[in-house]
Amino acid sequence: MSVAAPPTHAAARAVAATKIYGSGDTAVRALDAIDVTFEQGQFTAIMGPSGSGKSTLMHCMAGLDRVTEGQVLIGETDLSTLSERDLTLLRRDNVGFVFQAFNLVPTLTAIENIMLPMDLAGSKGDTDWIDEVVGATGLADRLKHRPSELSGGQQQRVAVARALAGQPQVIFADEPTGNVDLNTGAEILGFMRNAVDEMGQTIVMVTHDAVAASYADRAVFLVDGKIVDELADPTPERIRAHMNQLGA
Amino acid sequence: MLRLGIKSLLAHKVRFALTASTIVIGVAFVVASFVTADSLRSGFDQLARDINTGTDYTVRGELPFGDLTEAVAPAVPADLVDDIAAVDGVEIAKGSLFVDGVIPVDGSGEAVTTFGPPVAGTNWLEDESLSQFYLMEGRWPVGGSEFAIDITTFTDDSYDFELGGTYQVVTPTGPREFTLTGAAQFGFPENAGVGAIFSLFSTATAQEVLGFPGEFTVISVRAEAGADIAELQARIEAVLPDGVEVITAADSEEEFSDATETFIGPFQTILLVFAFIVLFVSMFIISNTFNIVLGQRVRELSLLRAVGATPQQVRRSVLTESAIIGVVASVAGLGLGMLGALGIKALFNALGASLPEGSLPLTLRTVLWAVAVGVGFTVLASLVPAIKASRISPVAGLSEGTTSEERASLGWKRLASGGVLLAIGLVLTGLGLFGSFDGATPQLSTLGAGAAITFVAVAVLSPLAARTVVSLLARPLEWIMPISGRLARANAARNPRRTSATAVALTIGLALVTMVSIVGQSLKVSFGERLASAFTADFIVTVDTQAGLPQTLSRDIRAADIGTPVGFDFDLVQIETLSTEAQTAVVQTTLTAARISDLDAVINIDVTEGTLDGFDPQSGLLIHSDVAGDEGLALGDQVDLTFVSGDRVTVDVAAIFEGSGFWSNWFIDSALHEQVATTAFDDVVMVQSAIDDPEAARASIDEVLDGYPQAVLEDRQEFQESIESNLNTVLVLVNVFLGFALLIALVGIVNTLTLSVFERIREIGLLRAVGMTRRQMRRMIRWEAAAVSLYGAVVGVVLGGAFGLATSAAIPDDIIDTVSVPAAQLVFFLVLSVAFGLIAALFPAFRASRMNVLDAIADE
Repeated sequence: MSVAAPPTHAAARAVAATKIYGSGDTAVRALDAIDVTFEQGQFTAIMGPSGSGKSTLMHCMAGLDRVTEGQVLIGETDLSTLSERDLTLLRRDNVGFVFQAFNLVPTLTAIENIMLPMDLAGSKGDTDWIDEVVGATGLADRLKHRPSELSGGQQQRVAVARALAGQPQVIFADEPTGNVDLNTGAEILGFMRNAVDEMGQTIVMVTHDAVAASYADRAVFLVDGKIVDELADPTPERIRAHMNQLGA
Repeated sequence: MLRLGIKSLLAHKVRFALTASTIVIGVAFVVASFVTADSLRSGFDQLARDINTGTDYTVRGELPFGDLTEAVAPAVPADLVDDIAAVDGVEIAKGSLFVDGVIPVDGSGEAVTTFGPPVAGTNWLEDESLSQFYLMEGRWPVGGSEFAIDITTFTDDSYDFELGGTYQVVTPTGPREFTLTGAAQFGFPENAGVGAIFSLFSTATAQEVLGFPGEFTVISVRAEAGADIAELQARIEAVLPDGVEVITAADSEEEFSDATETFIGPFQTILLVFAFIVLFVSMFIISNTFNIVLGQRVRELSLLRAVGATPQQVRRSVLTESAIIGVVASVAGLGLGMLGALGIKALFNALGASLPEGSLPLTLRTVLWAVAVGVGFTVLASLVPAIKASRISPVAGLSEGTTSEERASLGWKRLASGGVLLAIGLVLTGLGLFGSFDGATPQLSTLGAGAAITFVAVAVLSPLAARTVVSLLARPLEWIMPISGRLARANAARNPRRTSATAVALTIGLALVTMVSIVGQSLKVSFGERLASAFTADFIVTVDTQAGLPQTLSRDIRAADIGTPVGFDFDLVQIETLSTEAQTAVVQTTLTAARISDLDAVINIDVTEGTLDGFDPQSGLLIHSDVAGDEGLALGDQVDLTFVSGDRVTVDVAAIFEGSGFWSNWFIDSALHEQVATTAFDDVVMVQSAIDDPEAARASIDEVLDGYPQAVLEDRQEFQESIESNLNTVLVLVNVFLGFALLIALVGIVNTLTLSVFERIREIGLLRAVGMTRRQMRRMIRWEAAAVSLYGAVVGVVLGGAFGLATSAAIPDDIIDTVSVPAAQLVFFLVLSVAFGLIAALFPAFRASRMNVLDAIADE
C-alpha cells in the first residue's frame, strides 16, 4: 500500500522489517514485514492503537532496537550491518530524538542539553545553524537554566532543539506532547512543523492523538504490526474517521 | 510486615550482600580479636600445664620488688636441694638452671636466634617429668664438653646440626666448644617450646658455663603420692632461707597465665579497637544504603500506608529488615572471623613473633559479642532511615518525581546540630590529648569518644560543603574530558547528602591513616634528631634476643685496641633517697650500668655538677638534672639502691648531667653492678672508634664479633635506620588494620554508586539514546566515583592532619619534640583515593554501560 519513493529522497526507510519477540508458541510479531519510507523534508505521523507496534517501529528505525528480519536504512546506511558502537555513533550523528518525558539530563543546563550530541561527538556543530535553532525555541534568555527551572513546554522545546541542533538525517519523536497541556502541545507541534517547513528537517512522530497527527504532512496507520493505511495532509476529522474505521 | 522485610531483601540480593558485607567485615574483626586472644590464652595455659606436669612445687629466689615479666629472679644455693629433698613427704627435688642468652652456632657459623622467645641454656635431669625435657635423638650430654639442643632447632632445615659434631655455644661466660650428643623436646607429647631455643648441659657444666657455680635458678619438687599439697608447702617453706619462696604448680600456672595476660589483654584490646573503627565506618555505609533504598521505595511504602499500614508498622518492617541483615552478617562474620584469627596469627608470626600453636576456641562470649555488634550496629544504623520511612505520607507515591533530586535539609538546623556536635567532639578530643587522667583507659576512651563524635559532626556538616567542594575538586575533569567530565562532576555534586554519606567512610579511614602517618613521621624525625645529638659513638653493637650481650664482648673490643667500648646494661632497680629534709621517697625505675669513666666518649653526657674524673665506681651515682629536681637530690646526697637480686647498696650522687642519658636518667658503674646483679649482660655496646678509616674499624670490630655470632654491628646510620624500620613495622601493622576501614569505604562507594546508577536509569537511557558510547558512560561513572572519593579523602586528610598535629603536640617533648608532616605521603593518599574511586566504580560503570537502552527509557 505504501508507495516506494526514489531512494535519493528517503531520509529513512524500512524494507520488509519484521520484529519478533520471544520464540515458539509465545512468539509475538510486533512488526510484520513492514515497508515504509520517510521522505526528506517531510513530517510523518505514525498512528495506531496501543500494541499496534508503532513504538517498536520507531525504536527499530531509530537504531534503538534491531529488527529480526528485513532492513532498516537511515540515509543509505543499513542499520543491521552496524555494530553496537557504530549504531550509537549513528544515533549521535544522524538521528535526533524527542521523548514523551525525561528528555533532558537534569544536571545540565538547557544549552548544554542542546549541545549534548555534539559534545559527545567532540564537535562544535554548525554555529549559525545552532543559533538559528536556539532562536527558534524562543528560550534565548533561559539557556543557562536547568531543566527543573523550566516549564514542561520549555523542556520539550529544548528537547526538540537538541534533536535539531546536529542537523540529523531524521528526527524521531515519541508522543512529544503526551505529557503537556493542550496549549503547550500546540506550541511544541508548531515548533516542529516550523522546523520542517523553514529548516527543511525530517520528522517522524509517533502519536495516538489525532490533533497532534494533523500537524504532519502524512499519517501512517499501524495495526497488529502492519501498515494498514495512510493519509496525506491529514486533518483531525479525517484521522478520527480513519481510526474509527480501522477500529471497527 | 515481617514477610515484607524478608521479601524485600530477597528481591535485591546484590544490594543485600553488599550492605551485609560491610558489617560482616566488622563482626569478623571482633571475632578474630577474641578468637586470636583466646587461642593464645589456651596455648599458653596448655604450655603452663605442660611445664608443670610431674612437678608439684617450684622453689626459687624471691624478687624483692617488681615481677617476673620485668626481672629475673635471683638464684638459690645448690645445697638447698638436699634440704628440700629431706623434707618428709617430698619424693624428689632437683635443681635446674634456666638462663637466657645461650646461643648455639650451627655448622655453617650461623647463630640460632629468635625475635623474642628465649634462647636459653639449661641442664637436663634424669627425671624427665620434673625437667620436662624428653630425649628424642642420641643421648644426654655428660661431662664438660658435651651438649644437646632442642629437637625443633635440630630438625630445622635452615640450621646445620649433626650428632657428634662440634659446635660453638655462646654462653654468659663466653663462647665455648661442645660436642652435640642429642636432641630433646620440651614437653611431651607435644612440643611446648613456643619458639624458645634450648641448649642442654649436664648439671655441673650448666652451673659453670651459665655463670652460676653452686647455684640453681629454680628447684623443682615432687610430693609423694597422696601428700597434702598445702601442708607440705608449709613444711618446705620452713627449710628455706630468707629470699627464697616455694609456690605450688597451680600458683605457678596462674602466675604464668597472668604474665601472658599482660600482653594478650592489650593485644586483644588493640584488635578490638580496630574492629570497632571498622564497625563505626560500616554504620555510615549501612545508614546511607538504607536511606537511598527507602527513597527509591517511596511509592511502595506510601502504597502500604495508603492501604492501612501504620507508621509503626513501616518502621518495624525497616528495622526487621536491618535486623535480618545483622543476623546474617553476624553468622557470616563468625565464619570469616575464624579465618581472620588464622590470618592475624600468621601476620604476627611473619613479623617475627612466635605465637603458640593451638586450637581456635570459639567461646559463647565471642558468639554473643558477634551477634550483639552485628545486629546492634546494623539496627542502630537503620534507625534514622526507619523513622524517616515511617513519616512517608500515604499520598507521597502519587506525586511525580520519586527520588532523584532529594532535597537535603541544608539549613540552619543542620549547621547548628553539626556545630554543637563538632564542638563537643573537639573538646573531648582536646581533653583526651591534653587533659590529665588516672591511667590510659579513661584517657583513650575520652579520645576515642571525641574522635567518634567529631567524625559524626563532620558527617552532619559535610553536605553543607559537599556541592561546592566537590564541584571545585572535580573542575579539572571538564578540561580533560569535556562531556563525560562535565557530567561526572555534576553527578558527584548533585546530591550533597548522598555524596557526603558515601565519602565519610573514606574520610574516617583516611583521617586515621593520615594521623598515624603524621605521628609516625614526627616520632621518626624527633627520634632521629635526638639520636644524632645523643651519642658520639661510631658503632653500636646490639642483639636480637632479650638476654643481651655477654660483658666479655666489650672487654674483648677494648683488648683489641679498636677504641673505647662502653656496654650499657639496663636493670630494674628500686631507689630510696635518703635526703634529710624530705621523707624517704621510693622509686622503681630503670638504672643503667656502664663504665662511667668512658661514658663521655660515646654519649653527649654534658655533666653540669660534679665530675666524671675520679668518679668512684664502687659508690658513685650519676643522675640527670631532671630526676635530681624531681627527687630533690643534690651532689653528695646518699641514695639506697635495691636490686632484684635482693642486694642493697648505698651510693652518693657524684655527678649530675644535663645532656642525653640516651636511655637512662640513673647510672652506676658496671664494676658495682656486677657484684649485685642477678645476671650481667650488656643490652647494647657502643664503640668510639680509634681507627680513622671506618671500613678498617668495622673490620676490626667484626673480627672480635666472630666470637659473638648473636651480635649485630651497626654504624650510626644503620642503627638509626634499624630503629626506624622497627617503627615502620608497627606503622605498617596499624595501616593494615586501618586498611579494613578503607575496604569498607570501597564497598560503600560501590554500593551507593550501584544504587545511584539504578536510580538514574532513565537518564542513562537518554544519554545512550542520544549517542553516548558505552566507553563514555563508563568514564562518566568512574570519574564521578573518583570525585566523590577525592572529596572524602581531602576532608579526611585535613581532619587527620589536624588530629595528627594535635596528637604530636600532645605527646611529651621527650618523645616527640619535632612535629613533621610527610607531605609526599599525604599527596600519595589523595592520588590513591582517586584510584580507589576508579576501582570502586568498575562494577557500577560496567552495569550502567550494559544497560539496555530501551528498558532504560521505558522504565517508569
